[in-house]
Amino acid sequence: MNLQMVGTLFLKDLFLSRRMLFSYSLAAIASVAILMAPDKTISFVGLILALTVAIGMGMHMIGELVLEERKNQTLAFVMSLPTNAIEYTLAKISVVLATYAIPWSVLIVGSLVLTLALPSAKDGSIPGTLIIFLLLLASFSIQLATAVISESMGATIAVMVGGNVFLNLFMMKFFQVPEIVEATKSDTITWSGLVLSTIGIEIAVVLISVLLAFYIQSKKRSFV
Amino acid sequence: MNCAIAINEVSKRYKHFLLDRINLLVEQGTVMGLIGPNGAGKSTIMRIMLGLIQADSGTVNILGRSIPANASQAKQEIGYYSEDMRMYNKETLGWHMQLVRSIYPSWDEQYAKELLDRFGLIESQKVKGLSHGQRVKSHLLLVFARRPKLLVLDEPTTGLDPVARHEILSELMRVIEDDTRTILFSSHNTQDVEQISDNITFIDRGRMIASDNRDEFMNHWRRIRLQVPPQWEMPKLPGIKLETSFRNYRTLSHSQFDESISQSLQATGADVEAVERMTLEEIFVSSVMRGREGQDR
Repeated sequence: MNLQMVGTLFLKDLFLSRRMLFSYSLAAIASVAILMAPDKTISFVGLILALTVAIGMGMHMIGELVLEERKNQTLAFVMSLPTNAIEYTLAKISVVLATYAIPWSVLIVGSLVLTLALPSAKDGSIPGTLIIFLLLLASFSIQLATAVISESMGATIAVMVGGNVFLNLFMMKFFQVPEIVEATKSDTITWSGLVLSTIGIEIAVVLISVLLAFYIQSKKRSFV
Repeated sequence: MNCAIAINEVSKRYKHFLLDRINLLVEQGTVMGLIGPNGAGKSTIMRIMLGLIQADSGTVNILGRSIPANASQAKQEIGYYSEDMRMYNKETLGWHMQLVRSIYPSWDEQYAKELLDRFGLIESQKVKGLSHGQRVKSHLLLVFARRPKLLVLDEPTTGLDPVARHEILSELMRVIEDDTRTILFSSHNTQDVEQISDNITFIDRGRMIASDNRDEFMNHWRRIRLQVPPQWEMPKLPGIKLETSFRNYRTLSHSQFDESISQSLQATGADVEAVERMTLEEIFVSSVMRGREGQDR
């Protein structure tokens, strides 16, 4: 594998996504600031904004960096360069995950730091916050794998809709579990078995999605 | 023969199209023109050569490397342009030049500047503001300036105005002056191919129907105009084909013409009114129609 070529393709896409990256990072900072407002209504608006930014930027980045490549016929240009499907996929998945991870990290780190810093915020809500943001990352990874494999906007949107429905159902059910309800009201952070196993499943989903995308790409017989 | 391209019995099946047992040898330092109607399989052959599509069967060897296993290495020395290839609209030509320069150690900056000047391109111009002709020339600049050993150009002159076509063909002729460099050039415009090719291959409906040296094509094909008696039947001579029939006039084409053909026709009672050279386009059309008749039978 030509890692130098992977690096070149990675930097190319990072440069192409610079405006998107900057805008979503700003939106993420704004969401976190609003989320931590003392007023519950304003804080709820912040939460909705944070979730919307995370979901919207995921779809936008996948559309711009993965799906548009074929639609705009730049894929043929890239594949005329001395690279192959695996190097291309590695660069593409890495750059989309990295581009998503920057504003996503702003959201998650900002939320956790402010929760710890603000006296009004309960530290016990940190595991729940982490689970929600990891769920967003897992959903994004499935969308990314779908886009890379299928190269279809329709299939990717269908997966995104399914992911959003699941996210809302999950939040509704998860935060009704007595153990979680108690933990979020507490000032101490509790890493229960339920919390750790949920986090484990979310990380596994991210890894499986990425590996599956690589596996299927390596089996493709036509790449343009 | 030192082959830059060696394609052997390559087939690729799609739902509605079959690329059928293609054999193509291109000697290093020569120009091969690939002529075929739209949908004939020219682009598929080129994509298989680049490893962008894997053939179902057969072998491909490009610049001594087996494809698709060594496609990445081979592409270091191949300059590929296809008419369905696009650059990034929001970026400038200069940005693309920088990208390609960072990948190819063989990039020739001085030559790139000359091409910018010769093609009338502006480095700082965004791709979305370029005309079709400027886009094609920009792509070709990116390909030529890396000085590849093999140029694979898929319909580079399609849709261009006469001036842009002339500029591109002139630049290709400059490239050909370096006799170590090989070019595979596809087009459905026979005039463009005729101007620069040493050898020509005709392809139609996924099959190779003829492949020869350009001069051999031009020297051997003839159109024969006859006036024939009533009830005249065309003799079954190899390489002969009835092109048109009007009252007692017939027009035939022959792919291996020599004087004995005229004598054989006269022996049937026909009066040979004229024997004419054919243009490459006429040879191509006649070859395609012969191939299709063979397929249909």
